[in-house]
Amino acid sequence: MAITFKKDRIVFSDVASGEDAERLLEWLQKHPKAKIDLSACTHLQPANLQVLMAAKCSIIAKPKDKLLADWIDSALQLI
Amino acid sequence: MNPLLEQFISESRESLQGIGEKLMQLEKEPESSELMTELFRFVHTLKGNSGLFDLPELTRVLHAGEDLMDAVRNGEVAYSPLLADRLLDAMDFVGLLCDEIDTNGSTDAKHVNNSVRLADSLRQLIVVIVPTTEGASSAVVNELPIVPEQPDPANQLPLSDIPEEISMAAYRAAVTGKPLHWLAYSPVEECFFQGDDPFYQARQTPGILWGDITARTPWPKLAELDPYCCVLDFSILSTATLEELQEYYRYVPDQVRIIPVPGSFLILPQGEPNGGPVYEDFVADALKMLHANNIAGLTHATRSMLDVSNPNLWLSAALRWLLLVIELEPDNVFVCERILLSLRTMTPPVWHELAGGCDTRINGDVNSELPHNLAQEESEPVPAMLSPEVTALIAAQREILSLPDDIAWLAGRLKSVAASLSGCLHAIGANGIIQSLGAALDEALAQRASAPLLHWLDSHFKPSVDAAPFLPQSVQPATTTQIGQSVEEVKYGRRAEDSYSGPKSIKVDQVKIDRLMNLIGEMVVAKNALPYLAGRAENVFGVRDLSREIKSQYAVINRIAEEMQDTIMQVRMMPVSFVFQRFPRLVRDTSHKLGKEVNLILEGEETEADKNIIESLGDPLVHIVRNSLDHGVEMPDVRRALGKPATGTIFIRATQEADRVVIEIRDDGKGIDPEIIKRLALEKGIIDNERLERLTDQEAVNLVFAAGFSTASVISDLSGRGVGMDVVRTAIEKVNGTLQLESEKGRGTRIRLSLPLSMAVTNVMIVESNNQLFGVPIGSVVETVRIPRADIHTIKKNQATVLRGRIVPLKPLNSLLGQHVPPRANEEDELAVLIVSLGDESVGIMVDNFRETVEIILKPMTGVLAGLSAYAGSALLGDGSVLMVLDIKEIL
Amino acid sequence: MAKTIMVIDDSATMRLSLKSALELNGFKVECAGDGVLALNQLKIGVKPDLIITDINMPNMGGLEFIKNLRALPGFRFVPVLALTTESKQEKRDEAKKNGATGWLVKPVTGPDLVKVIKQVLPGA
Repeated sequence: MAITFKKDRIVFSDVASGEDAERLLEWLQKHPKAKIDLSACTHLQPANLQVLMAAKCSIIAKPKDKLLADWIDSALQLI
Repeated sequence: MNPLLEQFISESRESLQGIGEKLMQLEKEPESSELMTELFRFVHTLKGNSGLFDLPELTRVLHAGEDLMDAVRNGEVAYSPLLADRLLDAMDFVGLLCDEIDTNGSTDAKHVNNSVRLADSLRQLIVVIVPTTEGASSAVVNELPIVPEQPDPANQLPLSDIPEEISMAAYRAAVTGKPLHWLAYSPVEECFFQGDDPFYQARQTPGILWGDITARTPWPKLAELDPYCCVLDFSILSTATLEELQEYYRYVPDQVRIIPVPGSFLILPQGEPNGGPVYEDFVADALKMLHANNIAGLTHATRSMLDVSNPNLWLSAALRWLLLVIELEPDNVFVCERILLSLRTMTPPVWHELAGGCDTRINGDVNSELPHNLAQEESEPVPAMLSPEVTALIAAQREILSLPDDIAWLAGRLKSVAASLSGCLHAIGANGIIQSLGAALDEALAQRASAPLLHWLDSHFKPSVDAAPFLPQSVQPATTTQIGQSVEEVKYGRRAEDSYSGPKSIKVDQVKIDRLMNLIGEMVVAKNALPYLAGRAENVFGVRDLSREIKSQYAVINRIAEEMQDTIMQVRMMPVSFVFQRFPRLVRDTSHKLGKEVNLILEGEETEADKNIIESLGDPLVHIVRNSLDHGVEMPDVRRALGKPATGTIFIRATQEADRVVIEIRDDGKGIDPEIIKRLALEKGIIDNERLERLTDQEAVNLVFAAGFSTASVISDLSGRGVGMDVVRTAIEKVNGTLQLESEKGRGTRIRLSLPLSMAVTNVMIVESNNQLFGVPIGSVVETVRIPRADIHTIKKNQATVLRGRIVPLKPLNSLLGQHVPPRANEEDELAVLIVSLGDESVGIMVDNFRETVEIILKPMTGVLAGLSAYAGSALLGDGSVLMVLDIKEIL
Repeated sequence: MAKTIMVIDDSATMRLSLKSALELNGFKVECAGDGVLALNQLKIGVKPDLIITDINMPNMGGLEFIKNLRALPGFRFVPVLALTTESKQEKRDEAKKNGATGWLVKPVTGPDLVKVIKQVLPGA
């Protein structure tokens, strides 16, 4: 499973697919304070990214891939 | 021949046959669009496949055929008997080439001329639509790649968003001659539903230095968010060339803008503007040094200034840029001057405004990348090097144009020549001169003469000296009378009246094949007598030379025998369709009876295996399918309630994997509930409580294969006949097959059978018991041991021994076969015990003695003997005696 | 984990050619002879990460297949490459409009295939 939902955290691993975005959105509506852990994420289909952007999520762990981390920073306007 | 080419040849033959049949049918129903579509598909497939190989002669004819059929399909050309004739001729030619490939692995170069001519004869039937200006431009518009925009937009780009280190790296790249492009990628809103992942696409952009994502619209509340409507914009800075970027974004050309960025545009110092004094002295001094070309002094002064300044200041950023420009372009005084002057105002230079009148190097690197427009293509020359095919085609057109003009169908001829040439120009990428070709054709038509076209041809393509004449002599006087038929048809015909090479396959009675199989079996055994004979010649008669000769003869016979055996094995191969064909009816009838709706899908029917394997598959497969129908697929209303389609699906597929044939049977029924299996197994005493607890779900599911298991809680009259999946397992294992079962509760069941492709030679060990010889398949033998009688213990009438700390039950072979003779011990009072594996357990079989192992061809028991389950089959031995081979699982 | 690619083409030669090229590059390959057969496989649990489909096929052609595919749960966003012959830009546009991600021009060579797959399939 590319996205695991924990109590207060959402953990991404490998590639999050387009289908995953629906559940991500549902979960974030119910748990708007959930923090995002992207450390094991290698890619996320942009529907997921849109959800993260719209939910103004706070990221507690950036992806290991520096370039991906930069992209996500730019999307979430963390720079 | 490689398997792909083999496949191609066999599929091509089928297609050719199909084309022939469709053309025959079209004679009767020339209006049938359905037949036309099928015909087109055959030709289309053939052509597509031929492209996989380097077979230009084949491809050329098929390509022409495809274009013609496309025109016919679209109603641009009417079907006519002439068309059928030419197409059949062309396909005969293709068939001829296929035969040649089949025998030689390639085609002869001599076919080029005929191929060109046949392709031409097909193309002539296509209505000539001369590429008008309109047509040409619309084609170009469609194919137009993403065009880079004029450099102007570069000044509106948010280049200051790029971090300084990346800007500097980009600038450095630009100075060293790398192109620099800004990409604005705005994916369409529905792009996700086209399988696009624009983020991934952006991330993988070639030469990417930096990227940024922004949303086109403010985000709504989460409840109103449609995550699948893409509103992201991507900005990317790349050092890839325009061509690379166009190629990379070719699937979304309308969603990307590529803007060349002059390197100097990136010199945009950023930082805290306040906080540092403006060193007017420094600027003045530096400018002086710059104009005096004192680069060393300038560098030194700049470094010192930088050392005493806070690095976060705007000033420091500008100085760092200055140092970089000095390092990379020490003679670019203009840019250095601008940076220095900007220190006075603390605002970055406005490069694009300055670019106009000054140093060309500011935007010099952009000029080379102006968009390719049509005007440029007009002047594009014809490529100097033409492929032999193109040369041949052009020569043929020249030849046609040289024919006398005094014919009624000259206009048609001219148009077809123009069409061929236009196609040719497209092919070699010389689109620029198509318009002039159109003009030449118009002129030729107006003059009713070939000369203008010939002149055009000569001016663009020099006549080559060695171009072979392309028309047969007989055509020169233009004796044909049919319109459009300026080229004599060349027959490759194997028409009805032609001699017919016999069919490639013959039907043979199975009995004869079996007889052949038996004979080769005997042959293999008989040849095994030769090494013994050689031994005797040497040891008994003392003739060593003779012995050596026998051995070398043996090697020859051995090789031939093995090849014969292989060949016969191949003859025995049969497609699984033999077994599959009964399923549509079975499924239909059974599901009807049960009131279920089931869709059966069969795949891989053409997969082949040995006749015995195929025959042994029949019953197990029927059983499995019945099980799926009975217990797997639910009733339609149940399925609907579960949110499944009312119609269930059973899917059977055969594939070949290495030397095994794999049959997979899947259904989307209710699957197997491991809990129910466990409970039933416990009730039936198949497992005990202790084992139950350790059982995984997968293991539980596999219990259905255990003897005496039937999962139906209500026994139906169809498959619940008291025999369960254990029968299936036994039957499959009998032919050295294996089976796997996977099941997901509520989702369905998947059974995978893996069987050997052929029943090749079996290795058996010969054992002696009660003065008889028996064979035991070597696969089931674990080891042979001799056990002293003292070590054999009797526990409640059962004998056992301890072997390496494990208790092994012992059974005399004689009593297993119903003979009440005790096993004989040897002189040391030891008994010969054959340890065989039975699932996870080992069992010892007591025999009188062990003998050698031999290779045999196992023949299954037939006739009245077939009922003797104790034997797997029989085989002939070298001395002509019959060896009975035991079925160990059965006798235990 | 090896990615699974489904190849749909009515020509056994084309299937074999693509299958061997893909397997050579470490992909798992499932084949189907037309759109209907492909949909059946998808419904019964085959879950490709990418689909390569011919356009002109009997029973159900590529465009209709893609339309049906996009309506199937779990396959809304799977990348689909349409196999086309050269020079038919309209066909490509039509394929894209019907939900294809991109196209491959026949005859497809191994390196081209891998390049395009890497471009459209994250993690390939």
